[in-house]
Amino acid sequence: MINWFYFASPATFYRLAGWMAPWFFAAAAILAVAGLYVGFAVAPTDAQQGEVYRVIFIHVPASWMSMFIYFVMACYGGVSLTFNTRLAAMMARALAPTGAMFTFVALWTGSFWGRPTWGTYWVWDARITSELVLLFLYFGFIALANAFEDPRRGDRASALLALIGVVNLPIIYFSVLWWNTLHQGSTVSFKGTSMHVAMLWGMLLMALSFWMYSVGASLTRVRAIILERERRTHWARELQFT
Amino acid sequence: MSDHLFYLAMSYAAAAIAVAAEIVGLWLRRARALRGIEEERDLEAQD
Repeated sequence: MINWFYFASPATFYRLAGWMAPWFFAAAAILAVAGLYVGFAVAPTDAQQGEVYRVIFIHVPASWMSMFIYFVMACYGGVSLTFNTRLAAMMARALAPTGAMFTFVALWTGSFWGRPTWGTYWVWDARITSELVLLFLYFGFIALANAFEDPRRGDRASALLALIGVVNLPIIYFSVLWWNTLHQGSTVSFKGTSMHVAMLWGMLLMALSFWMYSVGASLTRVRAIILERERRTHWARELQFT
Repeated sequence: MSDHLFYLAMSYAAAAIAVAAEIVGLWLRRARALRGIEEERDLEAQD
């Protein structure tokens, strides 16, 4: 049986994360090349939207990751509040900038898809507005986590904000059903999809790539956070950096 | 393709810049954390 407490030690996890991160970055790069190849060379031109639909190969995966990362961040926040674990709080902090980056990419690419298809870069539509709220939640989390001199107080305050902000995730997801929105409904669901198979594969490969990248980036960031927090400990000072 | 090239380019370029900026940020943060460790080592050596 795996001793999870052993891996919850920052000293152990620092080494484990350092070993894992390059593999996740390599997987992300390979999947991105495959996804872009399928998206631009294999997937056909959309009958209605023309070529601009190819924005979906980054817009949809970025949107998925923006919500998924927030959910995982809130879970880590919940674990850190409940069990007072240092590593969980550090992981929540490590995820936030990557989540904010994907939320920005989702909003930006959506805007540049909206101009030629809807005729406008921005509209205060329920889906888009709730995604913008998600970006502000990420900014709030990062600001609150760094607002205290004592990082543990910052951990607790930001974890609470992350948990409260989870309420926004179903609002984003179901906004296209609950309100009459300009944004289209879900094209892909667990029940199936109406998309061309090459379009779907291009999107799924890019989603996997973004997922692998998120893991690699958060593991790399958590290593820096661990070093910042543990710099006065014996094990950190004994590390050999190459 | 040319009609929509601008929108595609702006989308993909922004995504690439965002990822590149994050990777540079990660590198800088690690470098700062390592400097912090070096400072602690120097302090320990002085003691």
